[in-house]
Amino acid sequence: MKKLLALLLAGCMAFALCACGTPAEPADDGGEAAATGDTIVIGVFEPLSGDNGAGGKQEVLGMQYANSVCPTVEIDGKTYNVKLEIADNESSNDKAVSAATTLISKNPSIVLGSYGSGVSIAASDTFAAAGVPALGVTCTNPQVTEGNDHYFRLAFLDPFQGTVLANFAKDELSATKVYCIGQLGNDYDQGLLNYFKQAAEAAGIECVVESFPENNSDFNSYLTNAKNAGCDAIFAPTSISYAQLIVEQAAAQGITMPMLAPDTWDSNVILGAAQGKDLAIYVSTFYAEGGDPEFEAGIKEWINADATNLANNGGNDMLAAVTVMGYDAYFTALEAIKNAGSIAAADVMAALPSTTLTGITGPIAFDDIGDAARDSAFIKTANCTNNVWDFVAVQGVQ
Amino acid sequence: MGKKLKTKAAPEQRAGTILAAAALAVLYVFLFLLDNALPTNSFTVMLIPVLQKGAIFALVCVSMNLLNGFTGLFSLGQAGFMLIGAYSYAIFSIPAEQHNAVYQYFEGGIIKFSIPQILGNALGVNLGNIVGAIICIIIGGIVAGIFAALIGIPVLRLKSDYLAIATLGFAEILRAFFQWDGLGKLTNGSNLLRKYTNFHDIKIQLGGFIYQLDTVFPFLIATISIGIIVLLVNSSYGRAFKSIRDDEIAAEAMGINLFKHKMMSFVISSFFAGVGGALLAMFQTTVQAAPFRTSMTYEILLMVVIGGIGSITGSVIAAFLYIASSEWWLRFLDSGQFMDMSVPFFRDGFRKVVFSVIIMVIVLFFSRGIMGDKELSFAGMIRKFKNKKAKKAEAGKEVDPE
Repeated sequence: MKKLLALLLAGCMAFALCACGTPAEPADDGGEAAATGDTIVIGVFEPLSGDNGAGGKQEVLGMQYANSVCPTVEIDGKTYNVKLEIADNESSNDKAVSAATTLISKNPSIVLGSYGSGVSIAASDTFAAAGVPALGVTCTNPQVTEGNDHYFRLAFLDPFQGTVLANFAKDELSATKVYCIGQLGNDYDQGLLNYFKQAAEAAGIECVVESFPENNSDFNSYLTNAKNAGCDAIFAPTSISYAQLIVEQAAAQGITMPMLAPDTWDSNVILGAAQGKDLAIYVSTFYAEGGDPEFEAGIKEWINADATNLANNGGNDMLAAVTVMGYDAYFTALEAIKNAGSIAAADVMAALPSTTLTGITGPIAFDDIGDAARDSAFIKTANCTNNVWDFVAVQGVQ
Repeated sequence: MGKKLKTKAAPEQRAGTILAAAALAVLYVFLFLLDNALPTNSFTVMLIPVLQKGAIFALVCVSMNLLNGFTGLFSLGQAGFMLIGAYSYAIFSIPAEQHNAVYQYFEGGIIKFSIPQILGNALGVNLGNIVGAIICIIIGGIVAGIFAALIGIPVLRLKSDYLAIATLGFAEILRAFFQWDGLGKLTNGSNLLRKYTNFHDIKIQLGGFIYQLDTVFPFLIATISIGIIVLLVNSSYGRAFKSIRDDEIAAEAMGINLFKHKMMSFVISSFFAGVGGALLAMFQTTVQAAPFRTSMTYEILLMVVIGGIGSITGSVIAAFLYIASSEWWLRFLDSGQFMDMSVPFFRDGFRKVVFSVIIMVIVLFFSRGIMGDKELSFAGMIRKFKNKKAKKAEAGKEVDPE
């Protein structure tokens, strides 16, 4: 009897947990499409939980919006419904393989993702073995597309981004000594530190490099080191969760030297942390808000119309660059399917290298390795009073 | 008494062994067909990685059970030893021509050879891959065992919770150590190791045909390893382990060298954790130190508890169930729909909520796990079946005369 009661209570608790986390939600747009006519499946391989969960969700939002804008594609006069199949790779390499296989079991024509290069590399062989092309959206590690024929990418690469930021530090901030900090054990952080240091030292900037361990929450000593070393800028290619802590603690310490960061920092979470504080934060990113007002109005309306989408975007309708990239990725995939004239994965893979498109983030065309040719990045700065990103410059690598 | 029991059990034991061997043979035939002949559909595609990962975690769970369940040493260093195994495996099996690409920030690393490749030149690519992979797996186990022996000297003097804390700390230190840039030429620092021999490269050439062994290979390694552990547990060493678990002082009084036996259990357990780590590296196709964190040890501990502490078959069953649920069966909870119907609260993350509730229920109401400390065996099943029959016959006899 006691056991039964306890079981019931546990059940109630579980139900309450689900119930309170779930606002009334309209039916998923993918759901109905599957029921009628022929369907093309586009796999979405993204982290929805774990360290990169926040970024992954924003990227998926872009794809879902694109899917709602253009839910069908016409091939040889026949209209196909496009269905997004999403698999959560939990930001973890040991979960990546089975998440990728889940997608393969749904017979996708192409897979989009992931946010984070490590999981993309881990799943790469699974996609290759199944003969399914993959289109990396915001993974920036050169190793994702290097030495294979099936992985393509929309984003710029870490060596490019590191150089862009080093140039910006030299040209615009006139920095002479930069304090570089990244997470130990994170290939994204360490890769960018490496490329930034190379480019910065070539430009005559001195670099002080330090790494912090995982789950570190006290950055005061690192920030003090930056001050004591006489640095005049900070470069911090960290994930959003650490970035938030760094921003808050830097403000508390009264650090006024400018902070430079890569695309991960382009998030409304950072703006929230920096709001009302006296900080100079510069990020390099794929898209600057205001680039396409019509598109922005549409997606903001779409996000605001649904409580789940709003929650996935971090609680407001600020547009993240990764969302825009997700949107472009979806249309690049559609374009490739149209060019292939077939929904077979092999045909789409063959059609991808020659696929071109003018996306919201600029013209898209792939080079020999499979990377989208991008010769410039947007630099934005956090406007701490109005809580928005202000456009600063378009920076390239000379 | 003992003699009498033995003579009575013998036919069932023999029948049980034959049945078990037959079941194993059927399993391997199925796995071989799965790798080669069965049509690829959404079911078989998903079955392969789940079986592969299940076999790997079954091995790791059994190795943890040897320590926690049979020797009574509560150690939480499993993920650390798996990390060592995975890295040792990967470092020695990355093909020479890939070194510059993999160790891109560390001038191609310091180890410039690949064991599977060297053997491949001598024995042919396919055989070289198999033998090379096995050698690298054993290296992974040995390196993990050496680390265990070193850490065991100070740590095994501790008891219960203190041992758990010390091994937990050791695993964390190890992870940071492998991520350290100073060792980058060996471990690639924070970056991925990749391009080494993985399950898909394991093939065998028989009479002009090439057969894939994607799933057969991890099962084979896991079966052999678990078999060795079972033999060990049933040997006189195993009895010594169990006596240490039940009462250290009594065991010592019986003349068992506590430290020697604890060390033996710890090193053997770590060896097989290293082997499991190496297999996991093959499964993942990339290795990075970051995922080998404490939560991985907890996951393994959870499987051991669900299966039953002190039950090898329990650990195996629990490992397969756990992996299948978390990686496959419960994924539909994230998809927002069920049997083509849209279900509003099936959305990202819901899978994890349901999963934790299931685990909570198991831990609360089945605290001894699926198997307790019993084993599932064919001999046991035959005995049960016979007993039932005998009882029925007896009941029939009682009824008959009247």
